[in-house]
Amino acid sequence: MFQKLIAESTAKSPWLFHINSGSCNGCDIELVAILTPRYDVERLGFKLAGSPRQADIVVVTGPVTKQSLNRVLSTISQVPEPRCIVTMGSCPQSGNVFKGSYSVCAPLSQYVHVDVDIAGCAPKPEAIIDGLAKATKILKEKRGRM
Amino acid sequence: MDFPFVREAVVKLFSRPSCNNYPFTPREAAPNYRGRIVFHPETCINCNMCERVCAGGAIIHTSVKNEEGDDVITRSFDLGSCTFCSTCADFCTRHSIELTQDYHMIGIEEGDLIVSGTFIKKKPAPKPAPKPAAPAAAKEEAAAPAAPAVKPRGDGKPAQDPDKCVYCTICARKCPGEALTVDRKEKTWKLDEDKCVACGTCADVCPKNAIVI
Ligand code: SF4
Ligand code: SF4
Ligand code: SF4
Ligand code: SF4
Repeated sequence: MFQKLIAESTAKSPWLFHINSGSCNGCDIELVAILTPRYDVERLGFKLAGSPRQADIVVVTGPVTKQSLNRVLSTISQVPEPRCIVTMGSCPQSGNVFKGSYSVCAPLSQYVHVDVDIAGCAPKPEAIIDGLAKATKILKEKRGRM
Repeated sequence: MDFPFVREAVVKLFSRPSCNNYPFTPREAAPNYRGRIVFHPETCINCNMCERVCAGGAIIHTSVKNEEGDDVITRSFDLGSCTFCSTCADFCTRHSIELTQDYHMIGIEEGDLIVSGTFIKKKPAPKPAPKPAAPAAAKEEAAAPAAPAVKPRGDGKPAQDPDKCVYCTICARKCPGEALTVDRKEKTWKLDEDKCVACGTCADVCPKNAIVI
């Protein structure tokens, strides 16, 4: 009975963990913006988690620099399954304007499975909310399969 | 005891929330917001200027020949690689690229973030004989000292006025099709008819207005 209650509650409130993999800070600012009273995603249950071990959704920003690659991957591996990996902005999806640089390892999708891509540079806060809503849906499906 | 902000707290308790309640109340982006790219293939002339100026390398095109020998050109924009700088739209002389206010760009499956369009570029071949003759005639006419100014060729491709031209080579450097060869020392201006796509960029950039379209 408690298990069911916990499952239902976690489905309603996915926790986010944000990884900056060398982003220009544009995307990070927008991600923080959705937590402000203006957009207030906490009313939809999203909450920024302090540790990857407590997170359900991982949001990666930045073009995955060589320095950060191993740290990003080890942080993602600490997030318990079922998890949902969201890339935010053009950087982790393709490298964006940093494409071809000697120090950039993007796209992230060649190292881990990415569930949702939010396009934009930086994405509008509303687009981030859309993307997180999609991620929640995918998370629910993954839970159902477990 | 002094309680600061008590008044504000009470007033705010009864005022409207500042939250804009997004997913439940749809919101429009601000005017001139640069979101999803819309490509109009009907007007594109495949000059490739957009690909050359794109910082994110988001634009690619493929070209295949169909049965009639025409080129079927597909140009695609990868929104997952775009910085939404709008440089491509600014440089497109044909206004074939538009950045819209649509910001709902979420990719879940492959291809969700690709915008593409296809058009057919007709083969210009049918009359190969008069073609080389035409520029020669135009050049002779232009080279003759009596000719006051060059006449536009009428097919959208550039004609040069040797009286005005200072052989600065700007047009050759700006030509997206690399159709122009200008030699400063020899004072020659040559147009490769096959490479020219009649975009008019050369006439726009010429500081001496020596090119007529
Ligand atoms: S997508 Fe754009 S805003 Fe986001 S980190 Fe990359 S360059 Fe910065
Ligand atoms: S710049 Fe405009 S006309 Fe030229 S290839 Fe690009 S879309 Fe087509
Ligand atoms: S908006 Fe900028 S980054 Fe995007 S396709 Fe156009 S030129 Fe490239
Ligand atoms: S010669 Fe002029 S019109 Fe022709 S492709 Fe070059 S810039 Fe465009």
